[in-house]
Amino acid sequence: MSALRNRTIEPVPAFAEALERLRGEAAGSSGRALEQRNAAFERFQALGVPTSRVENWKYTNAASFANRPFALAPRGTVDSSLIIPHFAGGHKARRLILVNGRTIPQFSHLGGLPAGMTVRPLAQVLAETPELVDRTSVNDEPEHSFEALNRALVEDGAWISLEDGVALDEPLQVISILTEAESAFMTHPRHVIRLGKDAKLRLILTTVALGQADSLMNQVETVEIADGADLTIDRTLEQGQGRSAITRSRFVLGSRSRLQQTTASIGGSLIRHEMEARLRGTHSEAILNGLMMPRGTEHVDTLIRMHHEMPDCQSDQFYKTVADDRGRAVFAGKIFVHKDAQRTNSYQKNDSLLLSDDAEIDAKPELEIYADDVKCSHGATCGDLDPASLFYLRSRGLDEALARSMLTFAFTGEVLERIADESVEHIVRRMILSRLPGGERLAELG
Amino acid sequence: MLEINNLHATIEGADKQILQGLSLTVRPGEVHAIMGPNGSGKSTLAYVLSGRDGYEVTEGSATLDGEDLLELEPEERAAAGLFLAMQYPVEIPGVSNMYFLRQAMNSIRKARGEDEISAGAFMKLVKERAGLLGVGQELLKRDVNRGFSGGEKKRNEILQLAMLEPKIAILDETDSGLDIDALRTVADGVNRMRSPERGFLIITHYQRLLDYIVPDHVHVLAKGRIQKSGDRSLALDLEEQGYGGVLGAEFAEVVA
Ligand SMILES: Nc1ncnc2c1ncn2[C@@H]1O[C@H](COP(=O)(O)OP(=O)(O)OP(=O)(O)O)[C@@H](O)[C@H]1O
Ligand SMILES: [Mg+2]
Repeated sequence: MSALRNRTIEPVPAFAEALERLRGEAAGSSGRALEQRNAAFERFQALGVPTSRVENWKYTNAASFANRPFALAPRGTVDSSLIIPHFAGGHKARRLILVNGRTIPQFSHLGGLPAGMTVRPLAQVLAETPELVDRTSVNDEPEHSFEALNRALVEDGAWISLEDGVALDEPLQVISILTEAESAFMTHPRHVIRLGKDAKLRLILTTVALGQADSLMNQVETVEIADGADLTIDRTLEQGQGRSAITRSRFVLGSRSRLQQTTASIGGSLIRHEMEARLRGTHSEAILNGLMMPRGTEHVDTLIRMHHEMPDCQSDQFYKTVADDRGRAVFAGKIFVHKDAQRTNSYQKNDSLLLSDDAEIDAKPELEIYADDVKCSHGATCGDLDPASLFYLRSRGLDEALARSMLTFAFTGEVLERIADESVEHIVRRMILSRLPGGERLAELG
Repeated sequence: MLEINNLHATIEGADKQILQGLSLTVRPGEVHAIMGPNGSGKSTLAYVLSGRDGYEVTEGSATLDGEDLLELEPEERAAAGLFLAMQYPVEIPGVSNMYFLRQAMNSIRKARGEDEISAGAFMKLVKERAGLLGVGQELLKRDVNRGFSGGEKKRNEILQLAMLEPKIAILDETDSGLDIDALRTVADGVNRMRSPERGFLIITHYQRLLDYIVPDHVHVLAKGRIQKSGDRSLALDLEEQGYGGVLGAEFAEVVA
């Protein structure tokens, strides 16, 4: 315990004050639910805020971003005209809108869901049947500070559940808006996503920060994908200076199920995304793709724990990074092949482009294999733009900045093409181009 | 138009003198062929003229219509009217060939203060010129040179040449890798572009190309300078007698 304490620091009092304010106010903050919140908070305090001496936080100083006097997020909403530009998935898509971590029913569009599919504000579930929220405890890992904090301070989020055999033909988009604000605020949303046997869902998770604010979003997602179910997630995170986001996604997959997620993390002082995928059945597949693009002094950190627990599954991690200015990116991906997981195929690849001498990329691929009949590979590359390609483009008249932007954009292409939803692909393309010098001249590329 | 005077160039870092006093003048409308043994500096000359990094010009000059080429960035040289069809065209994954062509055209037009070409006009032009050069629609849609065969890459270079309409075009071994019919198609393409305003500098090892694209002058580059110049019959002499026969025993290939 004392060793742990040396590696972590004590949380600022703001977190305890927030819990105090929620007590009796927030959904699920009385009776047994309150006891659980208190217990989670005690765990958080015991665990403390990790410093860089904790292995999983080696390259990311959580304390400097997250251990600050944030207040609970201001209530209220924003003008719908600010949300509409972020619509994706086509005009038939269903939408759940959250502002500062709280659902806004009047902007949401959830009509005509198939029988057996439920999309609700998590706050309702917390108020009525809090015991449903944590029925999956995936606690075979040491408890996690920020997850404990989320359990203590959660107010709302998305509850998405599909019964066996249910499929939504159109995408479901969850838009999380973070507002501008004068003073620093935090929000701890929680998404619970459950696909029954053979259920099918295309999910779009959009997080956007509007204007200026100092904010912390500490989000937890628990995702269950039962036998034969199929979940596709296109995820975008677009924030600005002063914004921090720590997201922890835990996926559990049954037999013959499939998860495909593509993430674009573009903009924000800190973006940390932890994913844990557990392949608990046979013949399943988990694909995690991503793009990180830090610039300025931004810091983006991806941590993946891919657990092959059963035989005959496949997984693939494919991340690309473009770091400019003093931007820093971390990719720590670990593949665990448990002893029963024979005939596992597991791949991991992280390719990075360093556009400035001051940018930094830390890649930490790891394998831990206890089965003997497995195919695993991991590879990381890191480099500058290819001088021969640059010269080729410039010799055809493209100026240097445009040539660099064109090659940088081309580098991101392999992630773009893995995005399932075309409208999200367009949005991400725009997000990338807006970050590249002369990007507007490249708008029609491809 | 293109005036190269006493050009000396070294490879940066390798401390190796490649061009050692090369002089050459190409006037508007002329086609010059440069032949020379492997490693004699032909590609180096092409790269130095088009502004690739990694070379240092230690002496001499190169001007295009009086403008000092060596002072310009590669893209400025392109805008000034210089084009190099490369010996080894580069593959650019993720950038479509068609899009790249249009961006190149518009970049050059913009640098010259001209209006951009409209999407419609561009499509019409590229289809027409690609058709003449046997570059199929499918190659236009693919990424620049990615997975192209050797010959497809060379045709693609000539398509770029045809679209960008430079004042002076340098072709570095465009013929190598082309099949017999393709050689003809590409040569026809180049011949169509011959005009009283445009000059060509054609680097080749083989007389055959020069049967199709008949040069006004032939030069032999060896040991970093032009050792001999003549008319097209010089190419025939080289074919028969080899470099040693034409230039003297010191230029003969030494076979151990
Ligand atoms: N980066 C480099 N470092 C060292 N030597 C180099 C480098 N690049 C070129 N050279 C050398 O410079 C010389 C001239 O090369 P160049 O490519 O210009 O020859 P070339 O006449 O085009 O030959 P080829 O007919 O084979 O195409 C060669 O000896 C080559 O090995
Ligand atoms: Mg050469």
